[in-house]
Amino acid sequence: MTTTVLICDDSSFARKQMARALPQNWKMELNFAGNGVEALEYIRKGKGDILFLDLNMPVMDGYQTLAEIVKDDLPTLTIVVSGDIQPEARARVKKLGALDFIKKPVVGDQIETILNNYGIALEQDDSDKPETKQTNKIGVDLVDCYQELANVAMGRAADLLARFLGAYVVMPIPNVKYTEIDDLQMALHHIKADDSISAVCQGFIGSGIAGEALLIFNDTSYADIADLLNYEGADTEAGQLELLMDISSVLCNACLNGIADQLDISFSQGHPKVIGQHIHFDDILQGSSTKWKQTLTIEMGYKIEGKNINCDLLLLITEDSIEALNDKVIFLL
Amino acid sequence: MIENTMEKDIALGQVSIKDIHWMMDMMQSIDVGLMVLDRDYKVLVWNSFLQNHSGIEASKTINNNLFSLFPDIPERWFKQKADSVFLFKSSSFTVWEQRPYLFKFKNYRPITGSADYMYQNMTLIPLMSSDNEVQQIGVLIYDVTDIAVNKIKLEEANAKLLNLSKTDHLTQLNNRGAWEVSLEQEFHRSQRSKHPCSVVMFDIDHFKNVNDTYGHQAGDEVIRRTSKLLQETMRKSDVAGRYGGEEFGVILPDTDAKNALIFTERLRKKIEAEVVEHEDFKINITISLGVSQLSDDCESYQMWLEQADKALYVCKESGRNQSQVFAKNS
Repeated sequence: MTTTVLICDDSSFARKQMARALPQNWKMELNFAGNGVEALEYIRKGKGDILFLDLNMPVMDGYQTLAEIVKDDLPTLTIVVSGDIQPEARARVKKLGALDFIKKPVVGDQIETILNNYGIALEQDDSDKPETKQTNKIGVDLVDCYQELANVAMGRAADLLARFLGAYVVMPIPNVKYTEIDDLQMALHHIKADDSISAVCQGFIGSGIAGEALLIFNDTSYADIADLLNYEGADTEAGQLELLMDISSVLCNACLNGIADQLDISFSQGHPKVIGQHIHFDDILQGSSTKWKQTLTIEMGYKIEGKNINCDLLLLITEDSIEALNDKVIFLL
Repeated sequence: MIENTMEKDIALGQVSIKDIHWMMDMMQSIDVGLMVLDRDYKVLVWNSFLQNHSGIEASKTINNNLFSLFPDIPERWFKQKADSVFLFKSSSFTVWEQRPYLFKFKNYRPITGSADYMYQNMTLIPLMSSDNEVQQIGVLIYDVTDIAVNKIKLEEANAKLLNLSKTDHLTQLNNRGAWEVSLEQEFHRSQRSKHPCSVVMFDIDHFKNVNDTYGHQAGDEVIRRTSKLLQETMRKSDVAGRYGGEEFGVILPDTDAKNALIFTERLRKKIEAEVVEHEDFKINITISLGVSQLSDDCESYQMWLEQADKALYVCKESGRNQSQVFAKNS
């Protein structure tokens, strides 16, 4: 009987990347699911002997899916494929019965090696390559690619932040959209117009791609962060500025490097600028030339589990960078 | 980046010793502080910028510990930033707003510049060795004195402007707008805290006569003197404002009507006893004052103010030069 392989990821781009990383000469039936609910349906129909499972997904995420598989004792071998590379994430999925954990993006013969390690051998099929045909069936749109790029970069940044704070970082799905600069605030999920926030921005440029990384920190978060870091003086303006700069250094760098590495380019980064402490979102764009009407906005919201800590990292990419960005992204497809 | 390219080029045999020479020359003469530190915070590179501004030659710093060379550097703070560069292999940035400087250098423009020292931004960058570990970090020191001084001056100017926009020119009391903002805040604060709070409205009796008889300059002098006596009489926590021409308002936090009346009577008697001398004239003035203590059924600060105004009207009706407390049935 042909082995059924199921790839579950909300990103069509990630599904395609994953499918391409499967050994070309396997005899298998390949299926795709966009979230945990869909995946469970396939598995219950016997169409998911091996499951490659993403963690951050809408509707039902990877953790919930794993829990369901354990609860109903479903017949599948699960390998988690995620951008969330915190050691804690790995430990959690292993506890939930996942066979292994692969960090995104999946490259080379990683999959074959892992399956060989667990003694899972698949029937070879040298006659034709159905897999190639199947992957080509997946249509991928560019926003989806950006989202997956961001997801991987965000995972790296979350890992550093987790190590910096010594806590588990909850990583939601990054939000990618084109926005009018004037409507930026409305396009954001986590920031309300009357929230008291502090903000730092940092310009970046390289290979024809230019933009700004903007870290927005909810002022209610300082107390808990200071607590985690055993930091004194977080109730003073100066102490909060230190925390803000430290966190922006960690997050902006990791995220920009994460994007640059995937695109195989490198960015020059300007010196960060403190836009303001205890301000409102509207104040951020005050005094800007608004030369750009539109921007590609990638919003990454970070939360710390069990703490009142909220910060958002926005990557704002200029309109005239999109072409260069797309040229690079196409190489990944 | 430079180092990486150089390594590649050296590997490719494209960089001769001669080339390294001029590259080093550039690193020496660039107008940015360049320092390389190892894991024990020993100085490995100390470029001309740092030599010239610190007055310490490279031969004195190389292979010495940074913190013994510069005891003023906050060791714990610096190590915390540097540690994360070693650990995470990622750059770290600090700005002058956090700490004005790492090294206390003189202003680059000692004559025409206004700052006493050089404001500095700092970047810490991980320098990878061939085994992909961070054994050294690069420290870049940027002179941002002009940016810092401009920002500080701008903030000062803005604060001054803000103050000007809130102050009445003649009396230096709050102007009407600023005073009403304070009144509204006090209204909400007292409603929440349930502490008693009173507002006073008063004006100068027959002020029009002063202007008509002695001239507007005499009128201005009367207003100035009244506000001076008001400031001498009120407490630090009270908020006074010039409401209109000869009309004044005072907010008395944590004060009930009975105590507010003690205040108004004291002020009234002081002003009655005062003689304002202007040119050859000796001018006697009196004031009338209306008091309202904030009550639960008061719905807005405007209503509260109106009550004080009504009490003031009662004074006017009953012969002036007196204080009245607002009463509902009046």
